[in-house]
Amino acid sequence: MRSGTIGVCLLAAACGGRPGHAVAQPPAAPLKVAVVPIRTDGPKSLDPVKGSTQYDNQACSQIFDCLVQYKYLARPLELQPALLAEMPVVTDNPDGTQTWKFRLRDDVYFQDDPCFPGGKGRRLVAADVFYSWRRLADPKYELENWWLVEGLIAGFDAYKDEQGRKVADGKGAFDYAEPVEGLRLVNDREFEVVLTQPVQQFRWKLAQFQLSVVPREAVEKYGDQFGRHPIGSGPFMVRDGDWQPGQFINFTRNPDYRPEVYPSEIGPDKDEAASDIALGLNKPAGTRLPILDRVECPFYVPDPPMWLDFESGKLGFVQIPAEYFDKAINRRTRKLRESFRAKGVSLYPVPLLDFIFRGFNMEDEVVGGYTERAKKLRQAISLAFDLDEMNESFYNGTNIVYDGPIPPGLHGHPTNGEAPANYRGPNLALAKKLLAEAGYPDGNGLGEIVYYTSRGGNQEEQMQAEVQFCRAIGVRITPRLVDFSELIEAINKKIAPMFGYAWGSDYPDGENNLALFYSKNESPGPNAFNYKRPEYDAMYEQARRLPPGDERTALYIRMRDMIIEDTPYIGSMARIRYYAINGWLKNLKPSEDFQNWYKYLDVDESARTSPGSKSAAASSADQTGGR
Amino acid sequence: MWAYVLRRLLYSIPIYLGIILFVMAALRVNDPVYAYLGKHASREQIDQKRKTMGLDQPFLVQYGKFLGQVFTLDFESTKSWQYETKSVGEILGERIGPTAAITVPALVVTTVVSIGVGLIAAFYRGRLIDRALMVLIVLGMSVSVLVFIIFGQYFGANWLKEKHGIEWFASGGYEPWISWGGTEGFRVKPGIWVYYCALPVLIDVILAMGYDTRFYRAVMVEETGRDYITTAVAKGATRRKVMFAHMLKNAMIPIITRVMISFPFLIGGSILLERYFRIPGMGNALIDSITNKDFPVIQAFTAVFAAVFVLSVILTDVLYALVDPRVRLS
Repeated sequence: MRSGTIGVCLLAAACGGRPGHAVAQPPAAPLKVAVVPIRTDGPKSLDPVKGSTQYDNQACSQIFDCLVQYKYLARPLELQPALLAEMPVVTDNPDGTQTWKFRLRDDVYFQDDPCFPGGKGRRLVAADVFYSWRRLADPKYELENWWLVEGLIAGFDAYKDEQGRKVADGKGAFDYAEPVEGLRLVNDREFEVVLTQPVQQFRWKLAQFQLSVVPREAVEKYGDQFGRHPIGSGPFMVRDGDWQPGQFINFTRNPDYRPEVYPSEIGPDKDEAASDIALGLNKPAGTRLPILDRVECPFYVPDPPMWLDFESGKLGFVQIPAEYFDKAINRRTRKLRESFRAKGVSLYPVPLLDFIFRGFNMEDEVVGGYTERAKKLRQAISLAFDLDEMNESFYNGTNIVYDGPIPPGLHGHPTNGEAPANYRGPNLALAKKLLAEAGYPDGNGLGEIVYYTSRGGNQEEQMQAEVQFCRAIGVRITPRLVDFSELIEAINKKIAPMFGYAWGSDYPDGENNLALFYSKNESPGPNAFNYKRPEYDAMYEQARRLPPGDERTALYIRMRDMIIEDTPYIGSMARIRYYAINGWLKNLKPSEDFQNWYKYLDVDESARTSPGSKSAAASSADQTGGR
Repeated sequence: MWAYVLRRLLYSIPIYLGIILFVMAALRVNDPVYAYLGKHASREQIDQKRKTMGLDQPFLVQYGKFLGQVFTLDFESTKSWQYETKSVGEILGERIGPTAAITVPALVVTTVVSIGVGLIAAFYRGRLIDRALMVLIVLGMSVSVLVFIIFGQYFGANWLKEKHGIEWFASGGYEPWISWGGTEGFRVKPGIWVYYCALPVLIDVILAMGYDTRFYRAVMVEETGRDYITTAVAKGATRRKVMFAHMLKNAMIPIITRVMISFPFLIGGSILLERYFRIPGMGNALIDSITNKDFPVIQAFTAVFAAVFVLSVILTDVLYALVDPRVRLS
């Protein structure tokens, strides 16, 4: 009986095929749909003010707009107006503050939704920008992204504190209308922001998805459900049922998206521009965005199903997982293997703004401090490490090993990754000499150093290798593999003498990484090293005020070299993410520094419907460049 | 019988409270707030988050509050920490269906097939058919579940589609296959179930069959040596009658025990299958919650799972009495 039922089910499936394809559809213009993966269990909320992860960014950046955005094809990264009619005008004031003047486009509308009168999305105005930013200060949202504007805008911190106190004391609700000195509305389209001091990096923050603009009506109507029912002005919409947490998210074209076309500007990096042209990335210039009707994003936690779906042609692209690296890429040449090229797959390496390091707690009694003895001990340990060996053994040799905290591609990064004076190992002779000068000949007199790192992946094997490196000069390490939360707790409480950690830059400016050594950011802030040098702080504060240019870069280099000399960490490494792209997905120039690029994508149905067919663009080149 | 059931329920309460106490305490060994807030956290934010999460309250207060929710079955008023727009009840409610779509058919098919194979193997004990079946079964048990999953996805979904254009099974994903209400009314869509669930069910059956068949064979082998079987054979009962009317009936106690042990896992789900086939079930929810330190969901899951476990043990005793009149519940 039961086998009979199963037989009927199998028959039904055989006749019907894939659900959703079973019923004949009336002829209509075919929708352009791409399926692209999100490599985790997806976003946790679609409310930008609650977002923090890359996956929140991936989702929110399709639904909401920021004032500015990254130029899609330009490398090094540059900004251009998004909601703005033009880039902000910046003026230094005599009192030491800085005024940024903004003018919005007048053709931006929120998507239609019952929260608006008549269900028709209204025009986005300057008050929406301030409302969205003020949400960062609202304790209801737990100040998750307050760090973006902390200490930055005149009167904003005082406003946050005052409103926070009022709410905590039960004396009223958070008042979004209370004036803030540094947020000035001029009219519906124009507004000014006064910064407490000149901070050039504010422009990068304007492109952060957490500062996206949301309509007050929707937030008030949907309350804490706004994160499931997002209403924005971005190129795509997420309708009810389009997001199944942990399973998938689908983005549908916003028919009222502001007039925006595919960019024609390529470069200024000439090699990058040439490879973009070879890939045909310049061809759609002038095409109205978004090009796709729908982008479907299944979530993949384990990698094998994602890889299988990519190989079967279902997914447009995939970040090549480590375990499939050798299958897809020739390790020696770093080129895609012929079997993939024959199927029209292309390869695009994307260098990440990573700073992977092993840190020292500068407040630790043994490894911390600024005395010659402590410095030489840290330098000796650093010289014992073989980062190239680590790269080969644990990262398929794909990482970039470099000196200093500033990742490749940014001002202040040393030429060829090598700073003039550095303590990059392996140099065991020098390491032993410095160790002896520190008062620990062959490690004698030095106790065991506790080294915290998080579990997972090949961390245990990496730790074993690092223990061996140190043992070679007589330094004994006590490994402590802990959960990530325990690692952060140990760092924040300053109890980890040595720790494995990493930082991904929030924006493409070396300042973001140099801030990791600014004393005011000490633990539990991002200065996990608890590095405190007044002269460094002074240089950092000066650099924040300077516009990009030689003077600022020179300052970055001085700061970098000061850090290398003090050696509060062992490093550094940055990952390269390899994207494999199926021939049917067009216009993809992947980036992990910004995520609003779904609107530029297109599909070639002829390449998709004939598996194995080789598309012209895909066959043209493997990219060996990157950013 | 009801007095027995009531007494067993009362005895189970301290165990149940102990399980919840242990899980809640274990979850709080490391402070989850740091992991939540990540690299930009300030002291103010950490304190604020601890307050929002209720972690600033004494442990016993947290324990008492949670017990209150459990005994009033109020999982709707607590929000998930991971998905702040969803309540714990909503998450559990959404996840049970997809899990049951896999586990229930898998348990039924596995039990029926395993008992059948176990009977055959026991009856032909020591002969070629028994040995061949056991070799196959041990082979199935010896291969990693991941191998079955990856091969299943490759051949069952991708290879069929890529090489033959046949798309019977999905490599992952899930759609509800039973609908009710709305314009459609009550409707069962077997095609959708087959597309998304048949492959994981098949893999689950293959995996579980090895263990179950060996167990049932051992039970049946033990039964074949009993006097009543010798008597039945001596009286000229047919082989079929001996197997199904005599042996199977008398082996029901261990069969019930085995099936009822699996009962809580109908709700618990299979983490690996759900993970790899992207089925939004309970197993997936649990591992997500553990990974993301979503305490309210982990606690609620533990409470539900432990309750089902306790109830299934009591139900097992009741079933013993029903299938075997010699068993008296007192």
